[in-house]
This record gives sequence, structure tokens and C-alpha cells, in this order.
Amino acid sequence: MSVSATWYLTLAAVLFTIGAVGLLVRRNVLVMFMCVELMLNAANLTFVTFARRLNDIAGQTAVFFVLVVAAAEVVVGLGIIVSIYRRRPGATADDLHGLKG
Amino acid sequence: MKLLAVLTIVTPHVNYVAILPELILIGGALLLLVSGQLVFAKIPTAFYSIGSGAIAAAALVASLVIWHDVQARGPFTTIADSVAVDGFAIVFLVLVSCILILASAIANDFLVREGIDGPEYHVLALLAGSGAMLMAAANDLILIFVALEIMSIPLYILAGMDSRRRESGEAAIKYFVLGAFSSAIFVYGIALVYGATGSTNLPQIASYLNTNIITSNGVLLAGLGLLLVGFGFKVSAVPFHMWTPDVYQGAPTPATGFMTALAKAGGFAALLRVFFSTFGVLRTDWQPLLWAIAIVTLLLGAILGLVQRDVKRMLAYSSINHAGFILVGLAAATSQGISGSVYYVFVYAILVLGSFAVITLVGGKGDENHDLDAYRGLGRRQPVLAFAFALLLLGQTGIPLTTGFLAKLYVITAAVRAHSYALAVIAMLSAAIAAAFYLRLVFLMYGVKLPVGSGGDEGALSLPVTGEPDDGLDPTGSVPTGVNIGRVVVPVPTAVAIFVTVAVTVVFGIWPGPLVDFVHAAHFLF
Amino acid sequence: MGSLDSYLPIFFMVVLGIAFASLSFGASKLLAPQRPTSAKEAPYECGIVPTHEPARRFPVRFYLVAMIFVVVDIEVIFLFPWAVDSQSLGRFGLVEILVFAASVFVPFIYLVANGALDWGPIKRVRPVESQPDRTSSSTVRHVGPPNDQAA
Repeated sequence: MSVSATWYLTLAAVLFTIGAVGLLVRRNVLVMFMCVELMLNAANLTFVTFARRLNDIAGQTAVFFVLVVAAAEVVVGLGIIVSIYRRRPGATADDLHGLKG
Repeated sequence: MKLLAVLTIVTPHVNYVAILPELILIGGALLLLVSGQLVFAKIPTAFYSIGSGAIAAAALVASLVIWHDVQARGPFTTIADSVAVDGFAIVFLVLVSCILILASAIANDFLVREGIDGPEYHVLALLAGSGAMLMAAANDLILIFVALEIMSIPLYILAGMDSRRRESGEAAIKYFVLGAFSSAIFVYGIALVYGATGSTNLPQIASYLNTNIITSNGVLLAGLGLLLVGFGFKVSAVPFHMWTPDVYQGAPTPATGFMTALAKAGGFAALLRVFFSTFGVLRTDWQPLLWAIAIVTLLLGAILGLVQRDVKRMLAYSSINHAGFILVGLAAATSQGISGSVYYVFVYAILVLGSFAVITLVGGKGDENHDLDAYRGLGRRQPVLAFAFALLLLGQTGIPLTTGFLAKLYVITAAVRAHSYALAVIAMLSAAIAAAFYLRLVFLMYGVKLPVGSGGDEGALSLPVTGEPDDGLDPTGSVPTGVNIGRVVVPVPTAVAIFVTVAVTVVFGIWPGPLVDFVHAAHFLF
Repeated sequence: MGSLDSYLPIFFMVVLGIAFASLSFGASKLLAPQRPTSAKEAPYECGIVPTHEPARRFPVRFYLVAMIFVVVDIEVIFLFPWAVDSQSLGRFGLVEILVFAASVFVPFIYLVANGALDWGPIKRVRPVESQPDRTSSSTVRHVGPPNDQAA
């Protein structure tokens, strides 16, 4: 039994939406990072599905770049978090309220 | 596996000269990073700044060499069509090199003053610069994405560079979370465009769109919309501007100036190329979207800028307003509009670097003195500095005989020629509103009695702003209102940088020929 | 400027997405029985009742090494395609992969030189300054009723 490409694309769209909504509603910065990863991997799934459907390898190579960029991004993000929360416990976005107006 | 077996590998031809500026920046950044380890000695901050400036100057020379090459041979692509070497890319290569040179001079004095030593600041700046250059030259959506990240990730760190200030870390994390969010949206947009057109290469997408008449392809339009959202975050267009004021205020001031100039240059370079050159066929689809975004960006930036008390926050809203103007040129979707936008980006990057250099100086040790009151009477205390700042602000306002005026003139003319009169009128209206907050700062510096509400003479200690009870500042982080700061020391490198930005603004405002001709040569490859 | 209606499918897609996400969250709130007991709330630890609270904060060094690992680990991904076809990629592939390896190696030198990978006790960068106000009576906590300490 084969699953048609549309299902993969729908799954990717759902994952992407969950990631996007999660990033907007969750307050824990680490969970927000996970949501970003979810969104990026939804994009990866879309790339692979289209590469398969188009019989074109470019979409699969694109995933390599997205993966590496995602890793670099999350490491920088964790580095920023560590440098901030070394002095403060907890990691919620609501603690970040010094800048407004 | 079958996919791999049928492909015979053709190694692409790489024209290394064509990507020399980027290579110089990346190689130079790596060298700078380990230079302390290579000589086994502690290197003074000034060395890193000089090194960074020299590397950027080398990149500038390389860009001019390519410019000469393109003038002689015409534009071309390299590395399997993924890098375009055309007039448009080279204008941005030159601009980014200039930004890096000026920024390294401005940053040096800040780093010395705040005691931030080590090569990291300059290394990150150079890497971000290489990303911005690649964005301008990229001819493939995947390369644009990678370049966007090469530019953005160092900028996130630069925003959090001043680890002793709490606001700096907060700015970094906000910038990072929203930046990562926008990158994810951007990648998903690329994936959808790839699915709809079968390629990520810009000329191939364009030729696909030219040969296939597409009427309301949902996937393609969704991809296009997501790309626009991704770019909108980077160039801080409304409604994707939420991060801008916080990050501008929290980031170390020279980093703010650098970030503004670079992100606008890189972001708009890729935005203009992708939308005008690649998706030009679909302009009836994206024009209304851009039209709406441009209008809200123009108005929101100008109106919210009026009520700010923090100068960096005020310039953040001003940068949103300027992003609106640059979008006006793109929304016209004519080649005249595009060169107007390119000219605007060029001029604005220089103006904003100079402005933030002055703010860095006035900010004083600790980088905290950014209330409007710090500028009260600056014209008497330091006439030269105040005069330079006034010229930069007037340039941003768009007073005739400055480059800012010409920039606004070009984009508005393009909008009128494209028959979008409403957009042109709103652009002029927003320029008039924005003029109020620039001029308020100028009047404050020269101790002129202020016309609206925010008056009070020199002796008054506080500056009430009409209709704005919340002064927008954290009580712990703000300077007590009315503190009269003494003379600020103007170090030589920053003074030279400010002089250069003012000179560019005024000289090319009075004698526009060379710069306009240079920017008008910014043609797309196809 | 009236061609916005071609965005209608996207609009519906967005609405559907939001509806799906909010429905999932809402359904779990509404339908799932909310009977928290202390056993349910307790952290799961292989079925064994936890005896003590885990340490709240780990040394930063752990995060640092983990982050460096993630980056270096993922860089290897670019070596795979080259390794699979290094023969047919020939000299071009070799040069490119060497450039890549060099640009990964240089930051590694930086990391080692800055002590990011140093395990064991932290080196004392500065000698400890002797503070005259630090005496055994100010630093050692005396056991006894609190009024003794005040005296």
C-alpha cells in the first residue's frame, strides 16, 4: 500500500502550524526553540516529498542545508539563553519585560 | 538510490574571483578569530578594529574589481548558476563593504570604552557582512536562505554582546526567537515554491513561470506569501516589526547601527531580486500585498515614533518608516522603482550608521544615556557633534540638498509613474509626520522652544511629552530625567566615521550625479 | 488592486490550520478528565518513587560542551555526500572539502585556546585577593539559637 504525497504534505502543514502556534502561545523559551525545530522539520518533510514527486535531487540536498542551519541556530540560541540565565533561574518569556514602550 | 545512480556528476565551474569579497570576509574573520592564539600574546582591541577595517577594505577593492569585470564583460553567473554577478549584486557588495569599514571604526571606541576585549565583535560583524553580500548575489532560494542565516545568526549574538547590561541579553533572545521563527517561515515558503515550480534556482523559476500560465496556484502563492513574511521580519515591515523597538533599544548602540544598516541592505537586496526579477510575472498577485504592507509600515513607523522618549527606540520606529519607503519603490514594480529602492537603501544605511555613531557617543559609559534629555542643549555644549547629528537627522527627514531628499523623491516619483497615487500621498504624509520627531530632536539640541506640548525651556528638568504618560523606560535602567551630561569625548576613529557619513549625505545631496549613476547601473542579470 | 481573492485558498488554509490547532488544544482541555493526583503529578523515574529532588542547576560547562558537540556533529553531514562519491568528484571535491574542513578547524582552535573544552577544576585566572573583612567569625556559621549570632 502506498501513501500518496498529499498526505505527507498535509502532515508537514499540520506540523508547521503546530510549531507556529506553539511558538506564539508557549512561554518557556526552550519549548519555543522546540517549536522552531518543528517548523523547520516540517519544511524538510515538504522538501523531501516534493523531491520525490518531482524526481529531483535538489530538494533532498536542500534538507542538508536546512538541517545544518537549524543546528547552528539552536546552538546560538542556547548560548544566548545560558548567558542570560546564568544569573537568573527559570526560563520563561514573561521574565523578559524590561524593554517596552 | 535510483535517483543517485542516474546522475553523472558534473562538477560546477567556480569563478573564485566572482565570490572574492565574501571569501575575503570569511577568511579574514577566521584569521582574526585565531590571531590572538597565533601570536601567543594578548592583542589590543584597536588591532582587531584595524584588522577588521582592512579586511573590509580588501573586500571593497575586490568588489570594485568585479565591478570593472562586469562593466567590461557583462553580467554572468557562477557556481552552477547559484551566484549572480550583476550590477545589482555589486552595488550591494560595495555598500556592505562600506558599512563594515565605518562600523569597525565606530565599534572600536565603544569596545574600548566598555572594556569588551577580544576579536569576537569584529569577527561576528565580518561574518554577518559576508552573509549580507551573499544575499545580494544569491541566485538560488536555498543560497538566499543560507546567506540570510549567515547574516542573522551573528547579528543575534551582536545584540547580546554587552553581557553586563540586562537589556542586551533580553534583546538578543527576542531577536533570536522572532528571527528563528521568520527563518522557519521562510524555509517553508521556499519548500512550497520548490514544489510548485520544480526548482529553487531563480532563473529557472522565472522561466517556468514564463512558460506556464499560472492562475491562482494555491501552493505557489502560499509559498510567495511566506517568503514575503520571512523578508518582512528581516527588514522590519509592519506587521512583522514587533521585535524592532526592543532589539534596537537593548542591543549595544554601535551594534544597533550596524544591524540596521546590514539587515536592511541584505534583506532588501534579496527581496527586490526575488520579487521583482524572479516573480515579476506574478506581480498582479504580490503587488496588492506589498501595497498594503507599505502603507501600514509607513504610517505605523511615523506615528509611533512620535511618542518615544528613548532615542534608540525612536530611531527604531524611524527605521520602520524608512522600510515603508523602500517598499514603495518595490510596490511600484517598475525598474525605476527598483533603482529608487536601491538608492534609498544605500543612502539610509549610511545615514543610520552615522546617527547611531553619535548616539553611541552621547550614550556615555554604560551605554545608558539615551533619553531625549541627554540631547538637551547639545548644540551649545558640543556644536560640531550636534551639527553633524542635526545634518544626519535632517537627511533622514528628507530635507532638500541631502541624499535623503533624493531617495524619497525617487521612490515617490516611481509610485506616481506607476499610478499608485494613494501610496505616494501616504508616503509624503508619513514623511511629514516623521519630520516632527526628527525636528523635535534637532530643536532640543539647539534649545529652541518647542512648538507642541513637549516645550519647556532649558531650565526645566523634565520634558513632558503630550499624551504619553508611560515614558517607555524601565525605571531601573533609565537615567534620572534632566541629568545634564557633561562633554562627551569624541574619539578620532568615530569622528572620522561620522564625518564621512555626513559628507556622503551632504555632498551627494548637492551633487547627486555619481551616486545616482552608480546605483542606476544596478541592473538585474535577467 | 483587486486580485486579492486569489489568496482565498491560503486564507482558508490558515483558518483551517488555526482551527485544527485550537481544536486539539481545546479538546484535550475539555474532554480529558482532569483528576490530578499526587501520583500523576510526580515525575516519572522508571517506576521508582523519586527520593530526592534533582539538582536544579547544572554547571554551564555541560551546556557548553553539548552545544559544541551539536555543531561539530552536524557539520559532518557535508562529509557524507563527498565520501560516497569522492572518486568521481575528483580534485574539485577534495579541494572543496579541505576548505570546508579548514574552516571548521579554525573555530576549533579558538574553542580549545579559550578553554571551552577544559574539564576539571577551573583554572584560577586571578589570584584570590585577601579581604580583611573576611574572618572566620564572618564566614563560619555558628550553630545555636539565633540571638547568639546577633551578639
